[in-house]
Amino acid sequence: MNSDYINIALADDDEDDRLFFTEAFEELKIKSKVLLFKDGVELMEYLNGADRTLPNLLFLDLNMPKKSGLECLKEIKDTKQLRDMAIAIYSTSASEEDIENTFVKGANVYIKKPNDFEKLKKVLSEVVTTNWQYHTSGLNKDNFLLRL
Amino acid sequence: MPTPSSRYLRTAFLVGLFVILCIGGFMYKHISELSQTSQEVEDNYELRSELELLISNLKDAEIGQRGYLLTSDSLFLNPYQESLNKIQNNLTALDTLIIPKGGQVEKLKVLKVDIAKRFENFDKSFTLTNEDNTILTQELLFSLHEGEIRMDRIREDIIEMLRLEQSLLTEHQKINEKKIGLTPLFFYGLLIVTLVILLLAYLKMTSDLRALKESNTELDVFEKLTKQSEIVSDSSTWVWYIEENEFEFSDNLYRLVGEEPQSFEPTLENFYKYVHEEDLDNLGQQVNTMMREEELPFTNFRVVHKDGTIRHLKAFSKLMDDAQGVKTMLGVTVDATNEVENYRIIEQRNQELERTNKELSAFNYVASHDLQEPLRKIQTFLSRLESKEKDRISESGKDYIQRMKSASARMRMLIEDLLQYSRTNTSEKEYIKTNMNMLLEDAQAELFDSIEEKQAKIICDELPTMDVVSFQIQQLFINLISNSLKYSREGVPPIIEITHQEVLSREVNQIKNSLYKYHHKITFKDNGIGFDQVYADKIFLLFNRLHGKSEYSGTGIGLAICKKIVENHKGIIIAKGEPNIGATFTIYLPFLK
Repeated sequence: MNSDYINIALADDDEDDRLFFTEAFEELKIKSKVLLFKDGVELMEYLNGADRTLPNLLFLDLNMPKKSGLECLKEIKDTKQLRDMAIAIYSTSASEEDIENTFVKGANVYIKKPNDFEKLKKVLSEVVTTNWQYHTSGLNKDNFLLRL
Repeated sequence: MPTPSSRYLRTAFLVGLFVILCIGGFMYKHISELSQTSQEVEDNYELRSELELLISNLKDAEIGQRGYLLTSDSLFLNPYQESLNKIQNNLTALDTLIIPKGGQVEKLKVLKVDIAKRFENFDKSFTLTNEDNTILTQELLFSLHEGEIRMDRIREDIIEMLRLEQSLLTEHQKINEKKIGLTPLFFYGLLIVTLVILLLAYLKMTSDLRALKESNTELDVFEKLTKQSEIVSDSSTWVWYIEENEFEFSDNLYRLVGEEPQSFEPTLENFYKYVHEEDLDNLGQQVNTMMREEELPFTNFRVVHKDGTIRHLKAFSKLMDDAQGVKTMLGVTVDATNEVENYRIIEQRNQELERTNKELSAFNYVASHDLQEPLRKIQTFLSRLESKEKDRISESGKDYIQRMKSASARMRMLIEDLLQYSRTNTSEKEYIKTNMNMLLEDAQAELFDSIEEKQAKIICDELPTMDVVSFQIQQLFINLISNSLKYSREGVPPIIEITHQEVLSREVNQIKNSLYKYHHKITFKDNGIGFDQVYADKIFLLFNRLHGKSEYSGTGIGLAICKKIVENHKGIIIAKGEPNIGATFTIYLPFLK
């Protein structure tokens, strides 16, 4: 394991979004390793598998086939080894219901997918550079949804 | 319990009876007094004749005495003896004939004494004649003289007696006349009183009879009306006489089970024949409970007519005690088929509505999520093209990209506004007491950038605190202020005046028929481009715009949302505009004091 790299994972069924995501990290020049998963099942199989590198930060889309982001979130928080992983919700919608649910289940931040590439880069760099271990203590529902 | 009228009649009867008895008593007394008076008059006459007889008898005795004294013939002594006896009888008769009053008895005694003395005189004169019949002796002469005096005294006595008797009689007659003179008046009065009482009783009785007759007629009318109203309202009544365990069904109850009135014996068994077999058990139980607890709560059951029609009936009854303690159950049975049917329809519609609402929220989700996703990608790819491929795109290509960008931005705005509009319809509304000043401040904070940009000035009154859905009212303020900012005049910094006052509903034309007495009137007045008053109502319609897209950006949804929000709060919103002077939006929100 190379500690210089920040391990990032994204679970999103949308190919275009995965493309934007990786391209954004490439342009951000952050030393990072991005792991991509097409759905919740694939993600959980990896996380529960032996000999895996646990990501430092997981970006989780909510609306996915087979297993939704919300289900993944619940499973992760129910698993002792995975519980401490920082989780950013990465979704198209920002409905009150989704925000409420994910906050209650223990996600660290809620990102509404931006409609501008430059904005996306800004958001991702903000999230990646935040020390979530430290930030958690000050977490509340009002700053849960990331606004830039 | 006797009614007041029967008590009155009884009193009248008793008083009448008493008066008649009084009259009878007085009549009897009066007649006996009358007969007593005539007896007295008769007695008076007899007394007179008796006294005259007495005088004549005395004279007879005197004649007999004189004859004997002259002739010494004892033959003359016979009439003397005879008149002596007669006088004795006369005196005995007088004892009973005199009125024993005013000294008359004493006078009679004096008379008797004088008569006795006269006879003593007679006897003395007889003894003086024995020796010589021819010679009138001195002594005899003296005796005769004395006899004469005695006779005079007797006459005087008699005259005295007669006079007294006469005066006593006159006195009695006077008293009686007085009495007799008063009694007819008294009788007459009593009679009048009795007649009046009888007349009153008669009037009372006739008026009672009339009232009875009237109430009988009323009862008759009422019965007919009940029958009519039962038919019209599809209801019926029944009575259960608990002690006799007998039922009485009204005509319409027969009709409710599809039969002719009174076509079968009103018993429970006969009624059960019409009850739907699935409801029979339940109804039976309810009726058993009713017989035990003497009350029937609302009970629903179905009946099946002979032709197979099924009707829903509803029964209810209550116990009634009358004054004599006789218990009867009074029941009402109503045809509730329409009610049940309506309820079913409403339930169906509710389900439909619920389904539509679900569909609507599903649409909301699709609109918010699925429609926004491809749009977001188009926008992101455009931004990629713009930055990454910047050097390889021609000028016209860059122009196309700009146009695509503004078109997609507009589409995003439309989607977001539409969502907002549908949210004002469907989202859960919680009315919470909120200080509206806070909402206005929040709205201004939200619009901070455009307010700065336009150098707008917002002047506002103190706003009230009221029960509102806070995020909606905030949205309302945002939409109205941004509307004013958007339609400001070129080169004129917008001034928005927000004023508030409480108004009486009846004093404002548009809300005078409101159910609420008071309204909050909140006005947003600006100095923007305004609009022609002709369009005052149109601007609140969905997708309605007064200006071209290139002049002023906008979706034509903002004011429609405003209207919706105000209507959600049972208020109204009115627009007033003057081209190039400004627009005024007035909101009336009802409240309770």
